[in-house]
Parts: sequence; C-alpha cells; structure tokens
Amino acid sequence: MTMTRRTFGLGASAVLAGPIAAPFIRGAGAAEPAIRIGMVNSMSGGLAAYAQEGQPAFEYIIKKINAEGGIKSKGGAKIELVLADDTSQPARTAAEARRLITEEKVQLLTGTILSAQMLALTPVVDEAKIPTLSVWAGGSQSNYMFTLGYPYDRGYAQTMHDFVISLRDDFKFPIKTAVMAYSNYEAGQQSNKFLVEKLKASGIQIIGEAALDIRAQDQTAAMVRIRSLKPDVVVGLVTPRDGILLHQARYNLNYHGSIFCGGTGGYSDLSLWKDLGPEIGKAVLTRNLFGMTGFSAGAKIESMQKIVTELHDVAKLEKIGQGAVQYAQAARVLQQVLENAKSLQSDALLEALKNVNIPAGDPNLYIAKPKGLQFAEDRLLKDGSAMFIQWTPEQAQQVVFPKEFAQVPPRPKS
Amino acid sequence: MREEFYKTLSSPIWWGALVIAAIMPFVLSSYYVHILTLALVYVALASSWNIVGGMAGQISLAHSLFIGIGSMFSAALLLKLGINMWFGLVISALISGILGAVIAWIDFRFQLGHLSFVLITLAFAEMGSIVVEGWDFLGGASGLLLPKDTGNFLAFQFGGGHGAFWMMLGLAAICVLVNVAILNSPLGYYLRTIRDNEKAAQAIGVNILRYKITAMVISAMLASVVGTAYVRYLTFADPYLLISPVITIEIVLFATVGGLGRAYGPALGALLLVPLGEILRGKLGSTLPGLHYFIYGIVVISVILVTPRGLLPLFERLWARWRGPAVAGKP
Repeated sequence: MTMTRRTFGLGASAVLAGPIAAPFIRGAGAAEPAIRIGMVNSMSGGLAAYAQEGQPAFEYIIKKINAEGGIKSKGGAKIELVLADDTSQPARTAAEARRLITEEKVQLLTGTILSAQMLALTPVVDEAKIPTLSVWAGGSQSNYMFTLGYPYDRGYAQTMHDFVISLRDDFKFPIKTAVMAYSNYEAGQQSNKFLVEKLKASGIQIIGEAALDIRAQDQTAAMVRIRSLKPDVVVGLVTPRDGILLHQARYNLNYHGSIFCGGTGGYSDLSLWKDLGPEIGKAVLTRNLFGMTGFSAGAKIESMQKIVTELHDVAKLEKIGQGAVQYAQAARVLQQVLENAKSLQSDALLEALKNVNIPAGDPNLYIAKPKGLQFAEDRLLKDGSAMFIQWTPEQAQQVVFPKEFAQVPPRPKS
Repeated sequence: MREEFYKTLSSPIWWGALVIAAIMPFVLSSYYVHILTLALVYVALASSWNIVGGMAGQISLAHSLFIGIGSMFSAALLLKLGINMWFGLVISALISGILGAVIAWIDFRFQLGHLSFVLITLAFAEMGSIVVEGWDFLGGASGLLLPKDTGNFLAFQFGGGHGAFWMMLGLAAICVLVNVAILNSPLGYYLRTIRDNEKAAQAIGVNILRYKITAMVISAMLASVVGTAYVRYLTFADPYLLISPVITIEIVLFATVGGLGRAYGPALGALLLVPLGEILRGKLGSTLPGLHYFIYGIVVISVILVTPRGLLPLFERLWARWRGPAVAGKP
C-alpha cells in the first residue's frame, strides 16, 4: 500500500486522538470526596532526575497515609494527588500551577519547584492564595510559598563554611586559602556569594574563583586554574554533571594538592561512581574530597535508616537517594499540615504550614535536622544544615560532619 | 501598499476577530486565558521574525538576543536603576535595532551564505546568553523578579491576567499589521526579490544593504518590544527562557508550520501550535513524561509532510476549492 499525505495525516490524527481522550475516559466515574493536592514536578527536561527519583517515594507515603485511615482530623479524608509535568521550565511551572488551581481545584500545591521555578510561580500563588510547599527551592518570595530546600545562606553556605572551619579548627587541617569552584548557575552563584563572605569573616583567604560553565563538555581549564593557584581548600556548590567533569579533569591532571569540599550532587551523588567508573572514582573521590548532602544511608539517624529500608523493601524503589528522602519528607509535612489545619480553607492551611513542627527524633523526620523541622519567618527551614560525607573505596559513604550524625572522623589529607 | 493595508484595516473580519478575541477573558478560565496570552506572545514574535526569516529569506537565530534585551535589560533598568519600563522598552528596542543593523551589515559586508548567516546569528545569541548569565546587573543565572503588577499603566503594568491578555492582543495585532504593510509595500517586494535571487536583485539595482538592514532593524525592534511586554506578564525574568536559542527555534517552527513569508502564516502557526503544546502537556504530562513532546512532534512532522509550505496555503487551497463550484454556478 502506498502511503499518501492524506493517509499519513489520518494516521497521525488517530495517534494524537487516543492519548488525548484517555485521561477523560479514565476520569469518568472516578469521583470521590478527597483532599486534592496538586503536584508540579519536573518529570521531563533537564531537572527530571530530582522528580523521577522523588515522585515514587512521595506517592508511596501518600498511599500509606490513605491506607492508614487518611487525614483523621478531617474525618478520614483521603489525599488525592493531581500530577503535572513542567518539563523543567519555570514558565511552565506557573502555567501548570494555574491549571491545577483553576481546572483541577486543588487545595494545596507542591512539587520539585527549584528556585527559578519558585520565582516564576510566585505571582500565581499570590494571586490564587494557594499554600505551596516546594521540595527544593532555596528561597521564597511569596507569603504562600514554603520550602524544604536548603537556604543559600544558612543552608548551603553555612554548612560548607562550618565544615571547612571544623576541618581547620577541630581536625587541624592546614587551611588558610580557598578557591571557590562552583557551577555557574543560579544556586551556585547565590550560595557562593554568601560562602565567600563567611569564609573571609573566618579568616580564610579567597585566592581565586573557578566558575564552572554548566554547558562545558570539559572542566580541564578550571582544574588547571585550581592547580596553578594551589589553594588549601576548593569549595562550592557543584551540579552532578559539572562534578563528573571536574573529577575527571582532576584525575587526568593527577592533582591532589588541595582538599575538595562541596555540595551537593557533584560531590555526593551515588551516580558519580557509575559515571566516573571505579578506577577514576577510587582515585579522586576517596582522596582529599568531602561532599555535602542531606541524606546518607549510614548517618546515625534511626528514622532516616528506617525510611530507606521501607522504601527499598516495601515500596520496592530501586533508586533511593537524597531526592527520594526529601520527597518522602514533603509528604509527611503535608500530612501534618492537613491534620493540624482547622479547615481546608487557604488561610487555615497557611497557618498550619507556618506552625509545622517535626521534632528531632520523631519517626516522621527523615532528613538530617539536629534541631528538628520547622519553618522560619522567611518560610525557609529554621535548621538549614546538612551533613558532610567521605567516600570509601567500596563506593559507600561515611558521615563525617556534624558530630551528632558522624560515623568517623574526616580522613587526613594525603 | 496603502490600498491593501487600508483594506485590511477596514475589514469587518479583522475587527470581528479582534472583538471576539478581546472578550475571551470574560468567557474562559484564567488557565485558558494564560494559554491564549502565551499564543499571542508567539504570534507577535513569529510575525516579527517573519519579516527577516520569511520575507527576506534570512534564517536569523539571533532573535533570542533581541527578546533577551527587551526583557532582561528593561527589567534590570527598572530594578537596578529605577528606570520606568516604558523608557526601558524604548532603550532596549533602540539597542536591539542597532545590533540588528550590525548583524545585517556583517551579512552584507562579508557576503555570508545562508548557513554562515545562521551560524553568525546563533553565535550572537549565544554571546548574549553568556553575558546575561554572567552579569549581575542583568540578574545573572538567577534572573530578576519584577514587582507585582498592580495595574499602574504609567509604570508599564497592565493588571495581570486580563490586562496582560489585552496588551498582548494589541501587540500581536500590530506585529501582524506590520507584516501586512511590509508585504504589500515596495520594501516587501524588494525583500522577496532578495530572498529569491540576491544577485539578480542586485543586478536590477535593488539596494541590498539598505533593505536587509531595514528588515532586520524593524524585526529586532519588534521582538525587543514583545520581550519587554512578555517579561512584564511573566513577572520573573528567566534568562534560560528569554535569552535561550530555544525560543528562536520555537518561533521559526511556528512561522514555518503556519506559512513562511505570509502575513498571517506565522500567526496561524502560533495560534494552533502553542495551545496544542500547552493542552497536550496539561492532559498528558502526568501520564507518561515526555509523551506530549512525542505527540507534538508527530503533529509538526505531519503538517510539514502534508503541506510543506505551511498551513495557510493549505487552508487557502481548501477555501478556493470550496468556493470554486459556487463561483462556477454549480447548484
């Protein structure tokens, strides 16, 4: 049979019509009173790794809450998730949020919502007055937006600063000079700004910068610059992709003259070993390198270890890293908000968000927060701190900081 | 030119379409108003690009630079120097126009072929992107958050949803009208001559440099103005959206699918494809990530295969076929 333009057009129309009709067909007859939570995730596009790891964990916790009787203070109301994909583009986060609010009538919003997406979303949540919980934003510009992400200042910058100073003062590492090596994107730039101030105030001399071009195919130039400056410590926020390129360059140049400290994915992500390979990984990740992270399976936190086991054994999730635990935490925060809110009206939900309190030691506190989980006046976490780990040749992590969660002391410089 | 242009201006169909569009915010929910506003942004952008890409046949990928100047620079002027966005709009448009003229001059001076022109314009766009992401004044990689739109017209505010829609409707209409005006003017004829055979055009005395610069300056300034209006609507000036070559590729796609070089073609492409893309993502985005891209791709490929010259010529052929028998007096 010859395919003409007409038959091709008809075939393509059929392919188009089926999937568009499917959600309507599935939706028919599925009505049941429930609390609707809109979830805008970046399931495709450049940031998809966050949500692809996190969404299954979030859905698992919500299913568990529903199975255990739903929201008890609301007569056992079940939580219904309405999902959307913003394709990792901030403008589309705003568009999808608008759709969920006006078309799907959700009562709360949540999702990946990194900082740029948070900014794009701000006018929408302000206009609709919808309480929103971001899983990853580093800031908040709306009275309705709360976030579990690390604040740039008292999260990323403070933790990196505290660790470097702890290395110097507690473990007697000879640290006097630093080079700031950070991924040259929004979060990297912002946290670097605060980190430079803090390090200078603590007497560390900043002798140079190596901003990593996030589109570069190779970071040898940055590593050559670091080698030429030979600082005592190289520090900054680095994405997983930049981290891989930086560590590859370090291996190629066989450079071990500085201590490398950084967060988060570029130093601590489990995928580093896979992408670098065991030989390079062993040569650079286990020597003079410490990574910041909010989650490590070995941390001395019982509730964190329990949720990891549960996600693995019961939920049957294969990839359980920081993303999964962060999303699981978001689900527990929303559960508390719904339980404590006097009603499901926006004002009541907002008040409940302001008053969230999951104390240290609570079985529902999955992330490493020595002071528990509460929101500050700026709607960011009061305790924005994280941990530092070192890698072992067996590709495992050992928590080295803070001392509350530490398994071992930091490995000496070699 | 004037006769055709005034015919359009006095057309009841044109005004009827505008009036119907203008009442849409009262009929639709804010989500669909947003989709229509976005479609109008792309109508305006694709129409402005069409002057260079469609009529003059110069596939410019530098338009993200002009949109970026219009959006990021005017936002920075407001936030960092307190300069009113109306002035920011004018300053940005002038800078874009000058840059457009420089690009057109480089094209003429070095006799760039089509591919070289594409690459040069892409290089300009990339340079712009790097400058914006690395310069704190323009917000760096973090972008800039504009003050809330309270509807103060003197401060270039339109009151959010409905006001932004009407503002974009007006801007889109102006861009389409500029296309109509140019297409039926001597400039339009010269541009099409240059597009079809530059050497022959030169041989018959067409001032290539003058008309290339004119087309690029008009196109760049319009794109810049739309960029300023777009960022006011978004409130957040996101460098990865507004000065990314991806936005130019979308514009080229809409213009090509609608009908390159036609006054209404780019508008048609944007009015069909933007809502299609948005609604597909809304309906399918949570079903299977990326499925909406796949279906969107099938639609675009189908259109290009079924009607390579765009949808507008196809609709014109169908219209002529439908009217044909009636004209011939068939019962």
